[in-house]
Amino acid sequence: MFLQFLFIASAFLTLACTIAVLVTKNLMHSCVFLLGTLIGVAGLYATLGADFVAVTQIMVYMGGVVILMLFAVMLTGGKDFVSRAQTLLGLPATMGNKWTYGLGLLVGVVFLLTNVKLLSNIITTLPTAEINNDFPSTVSRLGHLLVKDHVLAFEISSVLLLGALVGAAIIARPRKHN
Amino acid sequence: MNQTVVSYLAQYEFFDFLVNLFGKNQSLLSFLIYLIFALLIVGMCATIGGLGTYAERKISADIQARIGPNRVGPYGLLQFLADGVKMIVKEDVMPFSADKMLFYLAPILCLVGVFATLAVLPFAGGFIMTDLNVGIFYLVAISSLVGVGVFLGGYASNSKWSMLGGMRGASQIISYEIPVTISILAITLLAGGMGFGTIVGSQGGLPHQWFLLHNPFAFIAFFVYFVGALAETNRAPFDLPEAESELVSGYHTEYTGMRFGFFALAEYIEVFVVCGVAAALFLGGYNIPGLKLDLLPLQAVQFTVFMTKTLALYYVVIWVRWTFPRLRVDQLMSICWKYLTPISIFNLVGCAIWMVAFNGKSIADIIFGGH
Repeated sequence: MFLQFLFIASAFLTLACTIAVLVTKNLMHSCVFLLGTLIGVAGLYATLGADFVAVTQIMVYMGGVVILMLFAVMLTGGKDFVSRAQTLLGLPATMGNKWTYGLGLLVGVVFLLTNVKLLSNIITTLPTAEINNDFPSTVSRLGHLLVKDHVLAFEISSVLLLGALVGAAIIARPRKHN
Repeated sequence: MNQTVVSYLAQYEFFDFLVNLFGKNQSLLSFLIYLIFALLIVGMCATIGGLGTYAERKISADIQARIGPNRVGPYGLLQFLADGVKMIVKEDVMPFSADKMLFYLAPILCLVGVFATLAVLPFAGGFIMTDLNVGIFYLVAISSLVGVGVFLGGYASNSKWSMLGGMRGASQIISYEIPVTISILAITLLAGGMGFGTIVGSQGGLPHQWFLLHNPFAFIAFFVYFVGALAETNRAPFDLPEAESELVSGYHTEYTGMRFGFFALAEYIEVFVVCGVAAALFLGGYNIPGLKLDLLPLQAVQFTVFMTKTLALYYVVIWVRWTFPRLRVDQLMSICWKYLTPISIFNLVGCAIWMVAFNGKSIADIIFGGH
């Protein structure tokens, strides 16, 4: 019962913060609300038994992505960019016109329907889901899967990340003037 | 299932009485036990944080051949309570052009980030809120909330000093997270698990059974971790975010009263947490020397052992602060990226090779032919 309460609380946190991200006009504030959304999602993962994914979510998004976003917003002058012009639905003009909103709505509906179609099987067969107890924790299970079944994907993504790291270092390196 | 305070207590017979008392409301019983332990641990650590400020002044006074606080209570011990009362009754000043919401939020984020780490800190075999199997990973992840708090505190104050302090703080915390995490990873490799119970359980009480002396790489990893942890908690010689000679007082320049108190308290408790993690990972944690039992009466002894190690490290942290001069920003970054990060990666690879080459035996095992 306690777990269900936590699940509902996380879901509410996620939804409330997501709405706040969309509604608030200060970019800095919406970054902070995004932090709340990401913590809420981590809470959802944790209450559903995916503890490693939950902690990774906190680690990657809270410790890295949100701080980087805050830096980026601050360096580009965050709150000074509030646009006064408003269009459809009272949204700022910089966010798009009726065509972009229409396209967004269409994509959203298609996405929703696809998800409902995909998830409908899971929802009807939920209670019979079995938990594999060969491993003491999700961490060791993830480790085994990563270096056995999915080793190619693991290696390719690590090479990609290494490339990104080297690329960032090259871009940030001071240029020599001859 | 993770081992928790509740599951630990459930082993003993007196717990049946409580179970019978609550009947069908078992989750209420668990909740109450968690609540009591959470209040106990947070209260204890807040007191330790308060006493930390006293220790800081007393030790710095000792190093500088002064006397230090000696008026309030015996040996000035109650000085931190007097400071607390002063902070609470002080006027809460809000800068005119500050970002109100973020200004209120920042100190709370700092404090929440630090208090959340206490959930997995292993004070004793059973006196650990929850022994998550991703314990140390959780601790590293959730303490990054402090970085967000420091940054937002600097930004929201709308002051040049605060802004510079906040930016320095955030960049420093992000950078030093890398060598610290990789050093922790090396220890995870030796222990074969990320839970604190696993890590402490695979060490012994005596120094030659600690991970510190397990192999040469782990020995170096301890120092990398300790230097990185000093930087992550914004302690001298890495206290650039609050360098009082250049930035007034850094990211909390504009804060007064209890909001400033939250920042200060968060810093001192974080130092305690970081020292506790070092003690658990490298110095054998709560293991009683020469005794491998986990009985209820022994919890107090285990707790004492853990606290002795942690507070000894706490003393070293304060000692370092009043002995070394502050670094420059570029020196700070070059230490992190050019020295600590490569060394920690070398340590990680070294530990992995050691585990394979010597079948997981420590130096002492190899020399004296242990198990």
